[in-house]
Amino acid sequence: MEFKDYYKTLGVDKTADDAAIKKAYRKLARKYHPDVSKERDAETRMKEINEAREVLSDVEKRAAYDSLGSGHQGGENFNPPPGWDAGYEFSGRGGGGGSGRGPEDFSDFFSSIFGNAGRRDGNSRRSAQSMQGEDHHAKVVIDLADAYTGSARVITLRAAKLDDAGRVVNEERTLNVKIPKGVKAGQHIRLAGQGSAGFGGGAAGDLFLEMNFTADQRYRVDGRDVTQIVPITPWEAMLGAAIEVETPSGHVQVKVPSNSQTSRKLRLKGRGIPGVSPGDLYLELTVVLPSADTDKSRELYAAMAREMDFNPRQMPGTPAGTP
Amino acid sequence: MTSYNPISGVLIDDVALTIDELARACAVERTWIRQHVEDGFLSCTVMLLVEDANDEPHWKFASRELVRARKLIAFERDFDANPELAALLVDLLEEIAELKRRL
Repeated sequence: MEFKDYYKTLGVDKTADDAAIKKAYRKLARKYHPDVSKERDAETRMKEINEAREVLSDVEKRAAYDSLGSGHQGGENFNPPPGWDAGYEFSGRGGGGGSGRGPEDFSDFFSSIFGNAGRRDGNSRRSAQSMQGEDHHAKVVIDLADAYTGSARVITLRAAKLDDAGRVVNEERTLNVKIPKGVKAGQHIRLAGQGSAGFGGGAAGDLFLEMNFTADQRYRVDGRDVTQIVPITPWEAMLGAAIEVETPSGHVQVKVPSNSQTSRKLRLKGRGIPGVSPGDLYLELTVVLPSADTDKSRELYAAMAREMDFNPRQMPGTPAGTP
Repeated sequence: MTSYNPISGVLIDDVALTIDELARACAVERTWIRQHVEDGFLSCTVMLLVEDANDEPHWKFASRELVRARKLIAFERDFDANPELAALLVDLLEEIAELKRRL
């Protein structure tokens, strides 16, 4: 297990007072908060920053950490000596709304030192009471096609749990989860009993999986409605054509009406994401022009320029052309 | 421990969350949820017009509210933001996400 240098994480001196710690925390939280940050490792950094604040802004925890941490460097291998915490009492900071943090938000280092008791909601070490385990959260990314057919996903989760000796250990486990047909982006699947183990005979918590779709330039998804970009040739657009399109639910043959322009949408009712009220699939036509990279193609474009009385900048309802 | 047989779960929205389930999923007390609903920062469906024995409304919460509640909690906690400010930030983030989705 790696030793965590919480002072270094927050970029403060060991003599920093509460105000300095708060200021450093807020500056880093603005940079790394996963809801607003563009940094790739934002979520990991935010957890580290939160954990550092959790310890350094609490007088009891900071005192215990300082006594334990002197002489250790961040990243070095570390195991707390047995009984190191004798004489320290970690009071939970219950009340209020609770911390909103789960065991997955803390490192092995933190869990081994402070256990669940170190967390602000102070809900742990009450093994004498029967208490339901905490719920966990994870994100799962699936392809849009999986929402049409349903699928299974293997996910790996790490969570803190108490071993037989009552110590907090991190356990890694793999779950094979069935993704039901018709799931929407942002929707959750609740797996009963797959969260933290309960205490004192209490039931285990649940695991909430938030579903997200793999980014795909071809599709835009709005609830159960799906818009698919379909490239077509100028002659298919102008003369009309029957074209084959590969949709998330398989091949379909679609009639492109004559005189179609880019952005025209063809609605295929009920071919969106399945459900009690299935969504619709919108095929958004995009006219793609062939390059004039051969003598023949240049000749054809030149013939069109000669023969066709066409200026898109002078069409009714379009903005005036640029000079 | 590996489970080879796929585990099936309950799709939230098909079965919406109660106030207690949402509170537990967010690791907050139900008073936090109730206050945020009453202040208009979280939305819910009122399933019945009658109140139960504890004088608690029968609220049901969709998946979207679980995501929203967890963001509100994170902003209130991480930035010591008051609920109004956290809600404003989440509203703006939702709007940005919607605009990006339309692009």
